[in-house]
Amino acid sequence: MATATKNNVSENNLLEAQPRTSGNKNDARRVRRDGKLPAVLYGAGKDALPVSLDPRQVSRILHSQTGHNTIFDLALNGGERTKAMIVDWQYEPIKGSLLHIDLKRIAIDQKLKVAVPIVLKGEAAGVKQQGGILEQIFREVEIECLPSDIPSSIEADVSELVFGMVLRVSDLPHDPKLKFLSDPNQPVAHIITVKEEVAATPEAVAADATATPAEPEVIKKGKQEVEGEEGAAPAAEKPEKAEKAEKKEKK
Amino acid sequence: MLMPKKVKYRKQQRGRMTGKAWRGSELAFGDYALKVLEPGWITDRQIEASRVAMTRFIKRGGKIWIRLFPDKPVTKKPAETRMGKGKGAPDHWVAVVRPGKILFEMEGVTAQEAGEAMRLASHKLPLRTSFVKRQSAAH
Repeated sequence: MATATKNNVSENNLLEAQPRTSGNKNDARRVRRDGKLPAVLYGAGKDALPVSLDPRQVSRILHSQTGHNTIFDLALNGGERTKAMIVDWQYEPIKGSLLHIDLKRIAIDQKLKVAVPIVLKGEAAGVKQQGGILEQIFREVEIECLPSDIPSSIEADVSELVFGMVLRVSDLPHDPKLKFLSDPNQPVAHIITVKEEVAATPEAVAADATATPAEPEVIKKGKQEVEGEEGAAPAAEKPEKAEKAEKKEKK
Repeated sequence: MLMPKKVKYRKQQRGRMTGKAWRGSELAFGDYALKVLEPGWITDRQIEASRVAMTRFIKRGGKIWIRLFPDKPVTKKPAETRMGKGKGAPDHWVAVVRPGKILFEMEGVTAQEAGEAMRLASHKLPLRTSFVKRQSAAH
């Protein structure tokens, strides 16, 4: 039903990093003001090291075919090189620029856990013939494998997917080199139907406009009924009081 | 119209809208979304008007997610009433949004259709918005 694409670990990727002083958010802001991206490098049993990077190089890696699973050489001050990959990244909510990334040192001979994107291929029969909508519920699957075996994506063929059928993690192509860590019963994609919005009649629109919305229930602790009765009585008295006040004003 | 089923208190103070929407600022469900760029209140009627505009445009073509909920009551005093005598009665509900918040998401349509649907929806809103799409969106 599905096939997986082969990964190409990009070995000629080089990311230059400069160590920076570990500090508070003001220090990180100063790094950003200088046009650099604050990051932290950790893993492989060594101490965490705060570094600053070129945001364009990081963006290029994140937007590459292998995405955040790209393994690259990290050169500290142009000298010592270590294999690393991006494990976490934060975006600014409005402009979408990178704020900070986490880098992890990678041992080429040790298995690691990564999230690989699931790409749906083909036009589903449920969409083509039955007029449904293909909904992808699960977009990344967690796997365990050697760094050299990380696939850039896992392709799933959905051309046979119809109403009532669900593509699950267990249906994805299983390579002996990859160990799936996500729940095998986790749904990945299915075909749904959406009801068409019926244009409201003018009468219904008018009724909606005049209808006063009901107030939600107020959660109260204990003595709900007593308070409810007491609460209703003063509310009924209020309009009378308001009328009396208006009469006084007129006089 | 969207409103809570239960509330702890009938009335609320206005509050502040400082900062950015750090939560709910990334695409979670669909491929396309409408992101708000300034802080403000969006009423239940505006949300409904946007939803209707989008669903009528895409017809049966796609699925829509509404990522905001009007959970804040706004009170109003009756017309021609003197000031004082306490806070007015609850009138409508609003959702407080901060810049960066994703308002609506869409899937199952082309980028062009989603863009046009979101444009129509944005015209029903009192705030500046932008159309965003998932990096891997194929269309």
